[in-house]
Amino acid sequence: MNFSVKFVISIFMLALTAQVGGAQDLSADEIMKKSHLALFYAADDGIAEVRMTIVSSRGKERLREFTMLRLDLEEGGKQKYYTYFKKPHDVSRLTFMVHKLPGETDNRWLYIPAVDLVKRISADDKNSSFVGSDFTYEDVSGRHWSEDTHRLMGDDLLDQRPVYVIESIPRESHKGFDKKISYIDKENFLPLKEEYFNEDDELIRVYTAEKIENIEGIMTSVVRKMEDIKKNQYTIVEFSAIDYNVGATDDLFTERYLKNPPRKFIR
Amino acid sequence: MKAIRLIVYVILILPGLAFSPAGAEPYLSGYVQGLYGGGLDKTNPTGSDWIASENRLQIRLESFSETSEVFGRIDFVYDDFNDPALRSELREAYAKFRLGSRFDIKIGRQIATWGTGDLIFINDLFAKDYRSFFNGRDDQYLKAPHNALRVEYYSGRTSLTLIYSPRFTPNIIPSGQRLSYYNPLAGAIVGGENNIFEGRRPEEKFRNGELAARINRYFGSADVALYFYRGFYKNPIGMDMEQIVAFYPRLHVYGGSVRLPILGGILWGETGYYHSRQDKDGDDPFIENSSISSLAGFERQIGSDLTANIQYQNRLRLDYEAYLDNLPPGMIERDEVYHLVTSRITKLLMMETLNLSGFVFYSPSEEDAYIRLAAAYKHSDPLTITVGGNIFAGNEEFTDFGSFRKNDNLYLKITYGY
Repeated sequence: MNFSVKFVISIFMLALTAQVGGAQDLSADEIMKKSHLALFYAADDGIAEVRMTIVSSRGKERLREFTMLRLDLEEGGKQKYYTYFKKPHDVSRLTFMVHKLPGETDNRWLYIPAVDLVKRISADDKNSSFVGSDFTYEDVSGRHWSEDTHRLMGDDLLDQRPVYVIESIPRESHKGFDKKISYIDKENFLPLKEEYFNEDDELIRVYTAEKIENIEGIMTSVVRKMEDIKKNQYTIVEFSAIDYNVGATDDLFTERYLKNPPRKFIR
Repeated sequence: MKAIRLIVYVILILPGLAFSPAGAEPYLSGYVQGLYGGGLDKTNPTGSDWIASENRLQIRLESFSETSEVFGRIDFVYDDFNDPALRSELREAYAKFRLGSRFDIKIGRQIATWGTGDLIFINDLFAKDYRSFFNGRDDQYLKAPHNALRVEYYSGRTSLTLIYSPRFTPNIIPSGQRLSYYNPLAGAIVGGENNIFEGRRPEEKFRNGELAARINRYFGSADVALYFYRGFYKNPIGMDMEQIVAFYPRLHVYGGSVRLPILGGILWGETGYYHSRQDKDGDDPFIENSSISSLAGFERQIGSDLTANIQYQNRLRLDYEAYLDNLPPGMIERDEVYHLVTSRITKLLMMETLNLSGFVFYSPSEEDAYIRLAAAYKHSDPLTITVGGNIFAGNEEFTDFGSFRKNDNLYLKITYGY
């Protein structure tokens, strides 16, 4: 490596340090809060077409396609989700609605149009798989940062991006993991990678942000991957047609629209 | 000929869907399915070893705009037991649109469900298809379609729904062809060509339509509903002794329900007063007395991908004294209170590709039971293979489930979606 390249890199690193300098003093809790908000509370509302590919250890692929509409009622707090399934055929036209109430049990509804049935679903186990994928309900709607104690382990570079490395331990015994190591992008606070460990300190699951794009000025993880190390399988989630601040209103997240998808948004 | 009929149907259904509001592309989907079910009881008077043997093609077409939607779903079923072997079943064909900001209108052939019970229906008097339910068809076939106008009004946390059906649509119940049933006149379980059962339907006139209404309101996270129904008993439980024919007596139902999340699960309760309009005093032994049905249930996840529920229902026969006083000698005396306990358990395995489920109905008062078991394996997104069974038990031949005790069956079902 010649002198000039080294020089350029040094200048670049300096510039980076300067840019994130103000953030250096953030506590682990503050970083995790910002990260949670960046990943789960971008803008006031949002809509996306979601394509989920579940790849088994034998390489067999299963596909889920749905539209997801989200409305934030409180930053970091109450949220509402609306999901309209398109594929596979046996769940097509099915709608699923969640009123997320941090600190309380979520309210969930499922509507099965073939029988015109509105079913309320108990939401006790947040660690069950989301539609058979390697993502859990908690992965999809977010685990509140206050449920874990966080420790800043240091800084690092991940794929050329400066990151905070944070260790999180559940405050109360948790089925999903016993320890999580997160690599949080210093600039946009999106988690670039998360490693989940079990009680024997074995790596069980790995989340990676495969692709991040600037959508309407908001840095967004548009391709996400969750790998189950034990089962040797993974799920890729691709978000497309993302739109923020679409004007979703509270009344869309009611039984009326559960039964009659709001076609302005759901196509 | 059959092919022509199929083409005719497709042509008939297409124009409805071709009116494609505001440029939305019509969307086509559906599945093909084979269902083969064998009876386990060689003494079943139907005389057939097969409870089900059918090949089904379902075609779904939909199109929508921001404020309207048209949807159609038709099944073509080939069953060589039937004559003709190929028949079509129009499951749904409706138009749905918004009227102002508070009204939703749905008109056409449709399926309706409400109430809180899991496979127990008190205030849901929309037609059920118990033939499909007992022979291994998908759960969705339990709900039979009807032609109706549905008006829903919304205001904040309250909604009001009216469903008017100009023609009475009865339940589809075992009639002796594929599934045997209990004939009270014969005093025995019967089936086969000479014992095909048919109840006399009400005349097709305006006052014989069906009206169902519901007011629903959320109080916090609890949803509370009041119901009303004006029509007829959905099963032909009345007996016209002059013409010796079963019929559907007039019925009004008034009820209520509540459902809420609690204790990490969902709790529900429902009640309904059945007012038997043609036997108001309960003194006609050939028409069902008025009754009060009540139900309580609870469901929660009890393990990893393991969900269970339990329900208890009772039904109180009103004017029981009058019923006893007028019961002719030799007629079976029914209890004043009917009790039913049910439980459903569902376990998902292998990344939700294997679904094991069991549902048990057990009535301590009737001493009968019905068990539904199924294992469904999703080989791939389009292909699902299901094996299952329907087992009936009962000490007596005249009780709800005991009357079907010769219909025990095992089935294989293969579904391919597109």
